[in-house]
Amino acid sequence: MSAKKNSFELKVMGATILGFAQACINLHIIAGSRATSLISNIKPTSWYPFQRLRDIESIVLESYEYTAPIMERVGMEMMLSWYKFGPGADIIKRGVEFLKFQSGSQGYASVVQGPEELVGSFNLVELDEKNGKALINSTTPFDKNLERGVIIGGMSAPGDLDYIDVKNDEDRDFFKVEFY
Amino acid sequence: MKLKELLESDKLPSKNELSDEDLVRFFRKYKGLLKERERDKAFWAATNENLKIAYEKLGEKDEELVKVYSIIREDLSVARQIQEALLPKMPDKMEKLLDLAVYHKQLAEVGGDYYDFFTTKNDNHALGLFDMSGHGISAALVINYLKAQFMMVMERLESPKKIVELVNNISHTFLTTIKKYATVNFIVFRRDTFRYVNGGGFGLLLHGGEQHPFVRKDPFLGLRTKPFHEFKLPFKKGDLLALYTDGMVEAQNDRSEDYSVKRLNGLIIDNAKKPVQDILKICLDDYQSFRSKDTDDITLIILRKKI
Repeated sequence: MSAKKNSFELKVMGATILGFAQACINLHIIAGSRATSLISNIKPTSWYPFQRLRDIESIVLESYEYTAPIMERVGMEMMLSWYKFGPGADIIKRGVEFLKFQSGSQGYASVVQGPEELVGSFNLVELDEKNGKALINSTTPFDKNLERGVIIGGMSAPGDLDYIDVKNDEDRDFFKVEFY
Repeated sequence: MKLKELLESDKLPSKNELSDEDLVRFFRKYKGLLKERERDKAFWAATNENLKIAYEKLGEKDEELVKVYSIIREDLSVARQIQEALLPKMPDKMEKLLDLAVYHKQLAEVGGDYYDFFTTKNDNHALGLFDMSGHGISAALVINYLKAQFMMVMERLESPKKIVELVNNISHTFLTTIKKYATVNFIVFRRDTFRYVNGGGFGLLLHGGEQHPFVRKDPFLGLRTKPFHEFKLPFKKGDLLALYTDGMVEAQNDRSEDYSVKRLNGLIIDNAKKPVQDILKICLDDYQSFRSKDTDDITLIILRKKI
Protein backbone atom coordinates (compact mmCIF):
# COMPACT_ATOMS: atom_id res chain seq x y z
CA MET A 1 0.00 0.00 0.00
CA SER A 2 1.51 3.31 -0.98
CA ALA A 3 2.18 6.06 1.52
CA LYS A 4 -0.16 8.31 -0.41
CA LYS A 5 -3.01 5.80 -0.17
CA ASN A 6 -2.29 5.44 3.56
CA SER A 7 -2.70 9.14 3.89
CA PHE A 8 -6.20 9.00 2.50
CA GLU A 9 -7.37 6.04 4.58
CA LEU A 10 -6.17 7.66 7.77
CA LYS A 11 -8.30 10.48 9.04
CA VAL A 12 -7.30 13.28 11.35
CA MET A 13 -9.56 15.68 13.21
CA GLY A 14 -9.91 19.16 11.74
CA ALA A 15 -8.84 20.74 15.02
CA THR A 16 -5.44 19.04 14.74
CA ILE A 17 -4.90 20.35 11.21
CA LEU A 18 -6.00 23.81 12.26
CA GLY A 19 -3.76 23.65 15.31
CA PHE A 20 -0.76 22.71 13.20
CA ALA A 21 -1.38 25.45 10.66
CA GLN A 22 -2.04 28.05 13.31
CA ALA A 23 1.15 27.09 15.14
CA CYS A 24 3.11 27.59 11.92
CA ILE A 25 1.52 31.00 11.45
CA ASN A 26 2.10 32.02 15.08
CA LEU A 27 5.75 31.08 14.82
CA HIS A 28 6.12 32.90 11.48
CA ILE A 29 7.68 29.88 9.87
CA ILE A 30 5.43 29.86 6.85
CA ALA A 31 3.57 32.68 5.17
CA GLY A 32 0.11 33.08 6.63
CA SER A 33 -1.49 33.19 3.23
CA ARG A 34 -0.08 29.79 2.28
CA ALA A 35 -1.33 28.10 5.41
CA THR A 36 -4.65 29.93 5.33
CA SER A 37 -5.33 28.81 1.78
CA LEU A 38 -4.81 25.19 2.82
CA ILE A 39 -7.13 25.34 5.84
CA SER A 40 -9.81 27.64 4.53
CA ASN A 41 -12.52 24.95 4.53
CA ILE A 42 -11.40 22.95 7.56
CA LYS A 43 -13.93 22.52 10.36
CA PRO A 44 -12.49 21.67 13.78
CA THR A 45 -14.83 18.77 14.56
CA SER A 46 -14.85 17.16 11.11
CA TRP A 47 -12.55 14.40 9.95
CA TYR A 48 -10.16 14.81 7.03
CA PRO A 49 -7.69 12.62 5.17
CA PHE A 50 -4.32 12.62 6.85
CA GLN A 51 -2.91 13.90 3.54
CA ARG A 52 -4.33 17.35 4.36
CA LEU A 53 -1.99 17.55 7.33
CA ARG A 54 0.87 16.20 5.24
CA ASP A 55 0.29 18.98 2.71
CA ILE A 56 0.88 21.66 5.31
CA GLU A 57 3.70 19.71 6.89
CA SER A 58 5.43 19.47 3.51
CA ILE A 59 5.42 23.28 3.21
CA VAL A 60 7.50 23.44 6.38
CA LEU A 61 9.76 20.55 5.43
CA GLU A 62 10.43 21.98 1.96
CA SER A 63 11.05 25.50 3.26
CA TYR A 64 13.73 24.65 5.82
CA GLU A 65 17.03 22.85 5.71
CA TYR A 66 17.09 21.93 9.42
CA THR A 67 13.57 21.01 10.34
CA ALA A 68 13.96 19.11 13.64
CA PRO A 69 13.92 22.16 15.96
CA ILE A 70 11.25 23.77 13.81
CA MET A 71 8.86 20.81 14.00
CA GLU A 72 9.53 20.42 17.71
CA ARG A 73 8.57 24.04 18.27
CA VAL A 74 5.44 23.59 16.18
CA GLY A 75 4.42 20.65 18.35
CA MET A 76 4.96 22.73 21.48
CA GLU A 77 2.96 25.62 20.08
CA MET A 78 0.12 23.28 19.11
CA MET A 79 -0.19 22.00 22.66
CA LEU A 80 0.05 25.42 24.24
CA SER A 81 -2.84 26.52 22.03
CA TRP A 82 -4.72 23.30 22.79
CA TYR A 83 -4.37 24.07 26.50
CA LYS A 84 -5.07 27.80 26.28
CA PHE A 85 -7.84 27.88 23.67
CA GLY A 86 -8.97 24.27 23.39
CA PRO A 87 -10.14 21.61 25.82
CA GLY A 88 -6.66 21.12 27.31
CA ALA A 89 -7.20 23.10 30.49
CA ASP A 90 -10.31 21.05 31.27
CA ILE A 91 -8.54 17.75 30.69
CA ILE A 92 -5.27 18.32 32.55
CA LYS A 93 -4.38 20.43 35.58
CA ARG A 94 -0.77 19.37 35.99
CA GLY A 95 2.00 18.55 33.59
CA VAL A 96 2.19 14.90 34.63
CA GLU A 97 -1.51 14.51 33.82
CA PHE A 98 -0.68 15.08 30.19
CA LEU A 99 1.48 11.96 30.34
CA LYS A 100 -1.32 10.01 32.02
CA PHE A 101 -3.69 11.24 29.31
CA GLN A 102 -1.55 9.28 26.84
CA SER A 103 -2.25 5.98 28.64
CA GLY A 104 -3.85 3.46 26.34
CA SER A 105 -3.25 5.97 23.56
CA GLN A 106 -6.49 7.72 24.54
CA GLY A 107 -5.18 11.21 23.76
CA TYR A 108 -4.06 10.20 20.32
CA ALA A 109 -7.20 8.23 19.54
CA SER A 110 -9.26 11.37 20.02
CA VAL A 111 -7.64 13.03 17.02
CA VAL A 112 -6.85 10.23 14.56
CA GLN A 113 -8.97 7.39 13.16
CA GLY A 114 -8.54 4.71 10.54
CA PRO A 115 -7.30 1.12 10.07
CA GLU A 116 -5.44 -0.05 13.14
CA GLU A 117 -2.29 -0.92 11.25
CA LEU A 118 -2.14 2.61 9.85
CA VAL A 119 -3.28 4.62 12.87
CA GLY A 120 -0.64 3.24 15.22
CA SER A 121 -0.52 4.35 18.81
CA PHE A 122 0.96 6.99 21.11
CA ASN A 123 1.07 5.19 24.39
CA LEU A 124 2.48 5.87 27.86
CA VAL A 125 4.52 2.76 28.54
CA GLU A 126 6.14 3.64 31.88
CA LEU A 127 5.67 6.36 34.45
CA ASP A 128 7.75 7.02 37.57
CA GLU A 129 6.13 10.15 38.89
CA LYS A 130 8.24 10.31 42.04
CA ASN A 131 11.55 10.34 40.17
CA GLY A 132 10.25 12.32 37.23
CA LYS A 133 10.69 9.75 34.49
CA ALA A 134 8.40 8.36 31.83
CA LEU A 135 8.53 6.45 28.55
CA ILE A 136 6.16 6.90 25.63
CA ASN A 137 6.08 4.62 22.62
CA SER A 138 4.91 6.04 19.32
CA THR A 139 4.00 4.05 16.23
CA THR A 140 2.04 6.87 14.63
CA PRO A 141 2.66 8.29 11.15
CA PHE A 142 3.29 11.75 12.64
CA ASP A 143 6.66 13.44 12.43
CA LYS A 144 8.71 12.41 15.46
CA ASN A 145 10.13 15.87 16.04
CA LEU A 146 6.57 17.18 16.10
CA GLU A 147 5.59 14.53 18.66
CA ARG A 148 8.54 15.40 20.85
CA GLY A 149 7.30 18.98 20.82
CA VAL A 150 3.77 17.80 21.61
CA ILE A 151 4.98 16.05 24.75
CA ILE A 152 7.05 19.06 25.86
CA GLY A 153 4.25 21.50 25.10
CA GLY A 154 1.53 19.40 26.67
CA MET A 155 3.50 18.93 29.88
CA SER A 156 4.64 22.54 30.18
CA ALA A 157 1.24 24.08 29.46
CA PRO A 158 -0.16 23.92 33.02
CA GLY A 159 3.01 25.65 34.26
CA ASP A 160 3.63 23.53 37.34
CA LEU A 161 6.81 21.81 36.15
CA ASP A 162 10.24 23.43 36.41
CA TYR A 163 12.07 21.12 34.06
CA ILE A 164 11.03 18.96 31.11
CA ASP A 165 13.28 17.09 28.75
CA VAL A 166 12.25 14.62 26.06
CA LYS A 167 14.71 12.57 24.07
CA ASN A 168 14.25 9.98 21.36
CA ASP A 169 17.72 9.89 19.89
CA GLU A 170 18.38 6.30 20.93
CA ASP A 171 15.20 4.98 19.36
CA ARG A 172 12.99 7.31 17.36
CA ASP A 173 9.80 5.53 18.43
CA PHE A 174 10.50 5.77 22.15
CA PHE A 175 10.41 9.10 23.95
CA LYS A 176 12.30 9.22 27.24
CA VAL A 177 10.81 11.89 29.40
CA GLU A 178 12.49 13.51 32.37
CA PHE A 179 10.64 16.03 34.46
CA TYR A 180 10.39 17.71 37.81
CA MET B 1 9.16 33.92 53.25
CA LYS B 2 7.72 31.35 50.92
CA LEU B 3 9.59 30.58 47.69
CA LYS B 4 7.03 32.39 45.61
CA GLU B 5 7.35 35.54 47.70
CA LEU B 6 11.12 35.30 47.54
CA LEU B 7 11.02 35.14 43.74
CA GLU B 8 8.73 38.13 43.52
CA SER B 9 10.80 40.22 45.90
CA ASP B 10 13.60 42.52 44.75
CA LYS B 11 15.60 41.71 47.82
CA LEU B 12 18.17 38.97 47.60
CA PRO B 13 17.32 36.25 50.08
CA SER B 14 19.81 35.42 52.76
CA LYS B 15 21.01 31.87 53.22
CA ASN B 16 18.79 31.49 56.25
CA GLU B 17 15.68 32.34 54.31
CA LEU B 18 16.19 29.44 51.90
CA SER B 19 15.35 25.92 52.86
CA ASP B 20 17.02 22.90 51.29
CA GLU B 21 13.83 22.30 49.44
CA ASP B 22 13.92 25.87 48.11
CA LEU B 23 17.47 25.42 46.92
CA VAL B 24 16.55 22.22 45.13
CA ARG B 25 13.62 23.99 43.57
CA PHE B 26 15.80 26.87 42.44
CA PHE B 27 18.28 24.43 40.99
CA ARG B 28 15.57 22.61 39.07
CA LYS B 29 14.06 25.86 37.88
CA TYR B 30 17.45 26.96 36.65
CA LYS B 31 18.00 23.67 34.84
CA GLY B 32 14.55 24.01 33.31
CA LEU B 33 15.40 27.47 32.05
CA LEU B 34 18.68 26.19 30.63
CA LYS B 35 16.79 23.47 28.81
CA GLU B 36 14.32 26.00 27.43
CA ARG B 37 17.18 28.17 26.31
CA GLU B 38 18.77 25.19 24.62
CA ARG B 39 15.57 24.54 22.67
CA ASP B 40 15.19 28.22 21.81
CA LYS B 41 18.75 28.39 20.57
CA ALA B 42 18.22 25.34 18.37
CA PHE B 43 15.03 26.84 16.96
CA TRP B 44 16.58 30.22 16.20
CA ALA B 45 19.72 28.62 14.84
CA ALA B 46 17.55 26.55 12.48
CA THR B 47 15.57 29.58 11.33
CA ASN B 48 18.69 31.72 11.02
CA GLU B 49 20.45 29.00 9.09
CA ASN B 50 17.49 28.80 6.77
CA LEU B 51 17.56 32.56 6.42
CA LYS B 52 21.24 32.41 5.61
CA ILE B 53 20.62 29.70 3.01
CA ALA B 54 17.75 31.72 1.59
CA TYR B 55 20.01 34.76 1.29
CA GLU B 56 22.68 32.68 -0.41
CA LYS B 57 20.13 31.32 -2.86
CA LEU B 58 18.87 34.85 -3.41
CA GLY B 59 22.41 35.95 -4.10
CA GLU B 60 22.85 33.12 -6.61
CA LYS B 61 19.56 33.98 -8.32
CA ASP B 62 20.61 37.60 -8.42
CA GLU B 63 23.85 36.66 -10.17
CA GLU B 64 21.92 34.51 -12.63
CA LEU B 65 19.55 37.39 -13.34
CA VAL B 66 22.46 39.75 -13.94
CA LYS B 67 23.93 37.30 -16.44
CA VAL B 68 20.61 36.76 -18.21
CA TYR B 69 19.98 40.50 -18.30
CA SER B 70 23.42 41.07 -19.76
CA ILE B 71 22.72 38.51 -22.50
CA ILE B 72 19.37 40.14 -23.26
CA ARG B 73 20.97 43.59 -23.46
CA GLU B 74 23.61 42.25 -25.78
CA ASP B 75 21.01 40.62 -28.01
CA LEU B 76 18.97 43.80 -28.07
CA SER B 77 22.06 45.80 -28.96
CA VAL B 78 22.72 43.47 -31.88
CA ALA B 79 19.06 43.69 -32.89
CA ARG B 80 19.34 47.46 -32.85
CA GLN B 81 22.42 47.37 -35.04
CA ILE B 82 20.60 45.09 -37.45
CA GLN B 83 17.56 47.33 -37.52
CA GLU B 84 19.73 50.38 -38.07
CA ALA B 85 21.67 48.64 -40.82
CA LEU B 86 18.39 47.76 -42.52
CA LEU B 87 17.14 51.35 -42.44
CA PRO B 88 16.36 52.36 -45.95
CA LYS B 89 18.53 54.49 -48.12
CA MET B 90 16.80 56.56 -50.73
CA PRO B 91 17.33 55.07 -54.18
CA ASP B 92 19.66 57.09 -56.42
CA LYS B 93 16.85 58.01 -58.82
CA MET B 94 14.83 59.42 -55.96
CA GLU B 95 17.83 61.32 -54.61
CA LYS B 96 18.00 63.21 -57.88
CA LEU B 97 14.40 64.33 -57.39
CA LEU B 98 14.17 64.94 -53.66
CA ASP B 99 16.14 66.48 -50.80
CA LEU B 100 15.61 64.34 -47.74
CA ALA B 101 16.10 64.85 -44.02
CA VAL B 102 15.04 62.16 -41.55
CA TYR B 103 14.98 61.88 -37.77
CA HIS B 104 14.24 58.35 -36.64
CA LYS B 105 14.62 57.26 -33.01
CA GLN B 106 13.31 54.15 -31.30
CA LEU B 107 12.31 54.33 -27.67
CA ALA B 108 13.80 50.91 -26.91
CA GLU B 109 16.70 49.16 -28.62
CA VAL B 110 14.29 48.11 -31.37
CA GLY B 111 10.92 49.64 -32.12
CA GLY B 112 7.78 49.92 -34.20
CA ASP B 113 8.33 53.08 -36.25
CA TYR B 114 9.41 52.28 -39.76
CA TYR B 115 9.83 54.04 -43.08
CA ASP B 116 10.91 52.78 -46.46
CA PHE B 117 11.27 53.65 -50.12
CA PHE B 118 9.59 51.52 -52.74
CA THR B 119 9.23 51.27 -56.48
CA THR B 120 5.78 50.53 -57.84
CA LYS B 121 4.74 48.36 -60.74
CA ASN B 122 5.15 51.26 -63.17
CA ASP B 123 8.51 52.31 -61.78
CA ASN B 124 7.16 55.21 -59.80
CA HIS B 125 8.79 56.02 -56.48
CA ALA B 126 6.90 55.49 -53.29
CA LEU B 127 7.47 56.26 -49.64
CA GLY B 128 5.81 54.58 -46.67
CA LEU B 129 5.86 55.61 -43.02
CA PHE B 130 4.41 53.22 -40.43
CA ASP B 131 3.95 53.21 -36.69
CA MET B 132 3.20 49.81 -35.13
CA SER B 133 1.25 49.81 -31.89
CA GLY B 134 3.48 49.27 -28.87
CA HIS B 135 7.23 49.33 -29.22
CA GLY B 136 10.17 47.04 -28.63
CA ILE B 137 10.78 43.62 -30.09
CA SER B 138 7.18 42.63 -30.82
CA ALA B 139 6.52 45.82 -32.76
CA ALA B 140 9.79 45.45 -34.69
CA LEU B 141 8.93 41.88 -35.66
CA VAL B 142 5.49 42.78 -36.97
CA ILE B 143 6.88 45.72 -38.92
CA ASN B 144 9.19 43.31 -40.73
CA TYR B 145 6.17 41.21 -41.60
CA LEU B 146 4.34 44.23 -43.00
CA LYS B 147 7.37 45.30 -44.97
CA ALA B 148 7.41 41.90 -46.66
CA GLN B 149 3.72 42.29 -47.55
CA PHE B 150 4.26 45.72 -49.09
CA MET B 151 7.26 44.52 -51.09
CA MET B 152 5.22 41.65 -52.48
CA VAL B 153 2.18 43.76 -53.35
CA MET B 154 4.21 46.59 -54.88
CA GLU B 155 5.24 44.36 -57.77
CA ARG B 156 1.64 44.02 -58.91
CA LEU B 157 -0.01 47.34 -58.18
CA GLU B 158 0.36 51.05 -58.76
CA SER B 159 -2.28 52.95 -56.84
CA PRO B 160 -1.55 53.65 -53.15
CA LYS B 161 -5.18 52.92 -52.33
CA LYS B 162 -5.04 49.45 -53.89
CA ILE B 163 -1.62 48.72 -52.42
CA VAL B 164 -2.63 49.63 -48.88
CA GLU B 165 -6.00 47.92 -49.14
CA LEU B 166 -4.47 44.67 -50.35
CA VAL B 167 -1.83 44.66 -47.64
CA ASN B 168 -4.52 45.44 -45.08
CA ASN B 169 -6.75 42.62 -46.29
CA ILE B 170 -3.88 40.13 -46.34
CA SER B 171 -2.68 41.13 -42.88
CA HIS B 172 -5.92 41.82 -41.15
CA THR B 173 -6.53 38.41 -39.61
CA PHE B 174 -2.93 38.13 -38.44
CA LEU B 175 -2.86 41.61 -36.93
CA THR B 176 -6.20 41.10 -35.24
CA THR B 177 -5.04 37.80 -33.73
CA ILE B 178 -1.93 39.37 -32.23
CA LYS B 179 -3.83 42.55 -31.36
CA LYS B 180 -1.49 44.80 -33.29
CA TYR B 181 -2.22 47.60 -35.72
CA ALA B 182 -0.17 50.19 -37.55
CA THR B 183 -0.63 53.71 -38.79
CA VAL B 184 0.17 54.05 -42.45
CA ASN B 185 1.28 56.99 -44.53
CA PHE B 186 1.80 55.77 -48.07
CA ILE B 187 2.73 58.03 -50.97
CA VAL B 188 3.32 57.30 -54.64
CA PHE B 189 5.08 60.07 -56.52
CA ARG B 190 4.41 60.98 -60.10
CA ARG B 191 6.02 63.67 -62.20
CA ASP B 192 4.37 66.75 -60.63
CA THR B 193 1.95 65.16 -58.21
CA PHE B 194 1.67 62.50 -55.62
CA ARG B 195 -1.15 60.35 -54.36
CA TYR B 196 -1.40 59.31 -50.80
CA VAL B 197 -3.30 57.13 -48.40
CA ASN B 198 -3.25 58.06 -44.76
CA GLY B 199 -4.42 55.77 -41.99
CA GLY B 200 -3.62 57.45 -38.71
CA GLY B 201 -0.38 59.14 -39.77
CA PHE B 202 0.48 62.81 -40.03
CA GLY B 203 1.53 64.79 -43.09
CA LEU B 204 1.81 68.35 -44.35
CA LEU B 205 2.40 69.57 -47.88
CA LEU B 206 3.50 73.14 -48.52
CA HIS B 207 2.84 73.85 -52.19
CA GLY B 208 3.50 77.39 -53.32
CA GLY B 209 1.87 79.39 -50.56
CA GLU B 210 -0.71 76.71 -49.80
CA GLN B 211 -0.81 74.39 -46.82
CA HIS B 212 -2.25 70.91 -47.25
CA PRO B 213 -2.38 68.89 -44.04
CA PHE B 214 -3.03 65.23 -44.83
CA VAL B 215 -6.62 64.12 -44.46
CA ARG B 216 -6.92 61.72 -41.51
CA LYS B 217 -10.14 59.83 -41.99
CA ASP B 218 -8.98 56.27 -42.57
CA PRO B 219 -8.33 53.67 -39.89
CA PHE B 220 -5.02 51.99 -39.06
CA LEU B 221 -3.81 48.90 -40.83
CA GLY B 222 -5.24 45.86 -39.12
CA LEU B 223 -8.28 47.53 -37.61
CA ARG B 224 -10.91 47.14 -40.32
CA THR B 225 -11.19 45.83 -43.87
CA LYS B 226 -13.02 48.86 -45.27
CA PRO B 227 -11.69 50.70 -48.30
CA PHE B 228 -9.11 53.43 -47.83
CA HIS B 229 -9.35 56.89 -49.37
CA GLU B 230 -6.80 58.07 -51.87
CA PHE B 231 -5.95 61.76 -52.29
CA LYS B 232 -4.01 63.54 -54.98
CA LEU B 233 -1.90 66.64 -54.45
CA PRO B 234 0.40 68.72 -56.65
CA PHE B 235 4.10 68.37 -55.96
CA LYS B 236 6.40 70.68 -57.89
CA LYS B 237 9.88 72.04 -57.63
CA GLY B 238 10.44 73.74 -54.27
CA ASP B 239 7.43 72.14 -52.59
CA LEU B 240 7.97 70.79 -49.10
CA LEU B 241 6.47 67.58 -47.67
CA ALA B 242 6.65 66.61 -44.03
CA LEU B 243 5.59 63.21 -42.68
CA TYR B 244 5.69 62.13 -39.05
CA THR B 245 4.37 59.63 -36.53
CA ASP B 246 2.62 60.58 -33.31
CA GLY B 247 5.63 60.05 -31.03
CA MET B 248 6.67 63.68 -31.32
CA VAL B 249 3.33 65.47 -31.30
CA GLU B 250 1.97 63.48 -28.36
CA ALA B 251 5.04 63.95 -26.15
CA GLN B 252 4.36 66.06 -23.09
CA ASN B 253 6.20 68.64 -21.05
CA ASP B 254 6.32 68.92 -17.26
CA ARG B 255 2.89 70.52 -17.27
CA SER B 256 1.40 67.56 -19.17
CA GLU B 257 0.88 69.71 -22.28
CA ASP B 258 1.22 67.99 -25.66
CA TYR B 259 3.87 69.15 -28.09
CA SER B 260 1.03 69.12 -30.66
CA VAL B 261 0.54 68.98 -34.40
CA LYS B 262 -0.11 72.72 -34.46
CA ARG B 263 3.27 73.54 -32.94
CA LEU B 264 5.20 71.20 -35.22
CA ASN B 265 3.38 72.25 -38.38
CA GLY B 266 3.83 75.89 -37.39
CA LEU B 267 7.60 75.46 -37.14
CA ILE B 268 7.74 73.73 -40.52
CA ILE B 269 5.68 76.47 -42.13
CA ASP B 270 7.72 79.26 -40.52
CA ASN B 271 10.98 77.76 -41.74
CA ALA B 272 9.77 76.34 -45.04
CA LYS B 273 12.36 78.23 -47.12
CA LYS B 274 15.32 76.78 -45.26
CA PRO B 275 17.23 73.64 -46.30
CA VAL B 276 15.50 70.45 -45.18
CA GLN B 277 18.30 69.56 -42.74
CA ASP B 278 17.95 72.98 -41.08
CA ILE B 279 14.18 72.62 -40.82
CA LEU B 280 14.64 69.22 -39.23
CA LYS B 281 17.16 70.55 -36.71
CA ILE B 282 14.94 73.49 -35.78
CA CYS B 283 12.00 71.14 -35.17
CA LEU B 284 14.09 68.73 -33.12
CA ASP B 285 15.72 71.45 -31.02
CA ASP B 286 12.32 72.88 -30.25
CA TYR B 287 10.86 69.44 -29.46
CA GLN B 288 13.73 68.48 -27.18
CA SER B 289 13.54 71.72 -25.26
CA PHE B 290 9.80 71.22 -24.80
CA ARG B 291 9.35 67.59 -23.84
CA SER B 292 10.23 66.19 -20.44
CA LYS B 293 11.11 62.76 -21.89
CA ASP B 294 10.52 60.56 -24.94
CA THR B 295 7.68 58.13 -24.42
CA ASP B 296 7.38 56.66 -27.91
CA ASP B 297 9.29 55.97 -31.10
CA ILE B 298 9.78 59.13 -33.17
CA THR B 299 10.05 59.66 -36.91
CA LEU B 300 10.05 62.96 -38.78
CA ILE B 301 10.70 63.06 -42.53
CA ILE B 302 11.12 66.29 -44.45
CA LEU B 303 11.28 66.23 -48.28
CA ARG B 304 11.74 68.98 -50.83
CA LYS B 305 11.20 68.52 -54.56
CA LYS B 306 14.41 69.47 -56.31
CA ILE B 307 13.29 69.30 -59.95
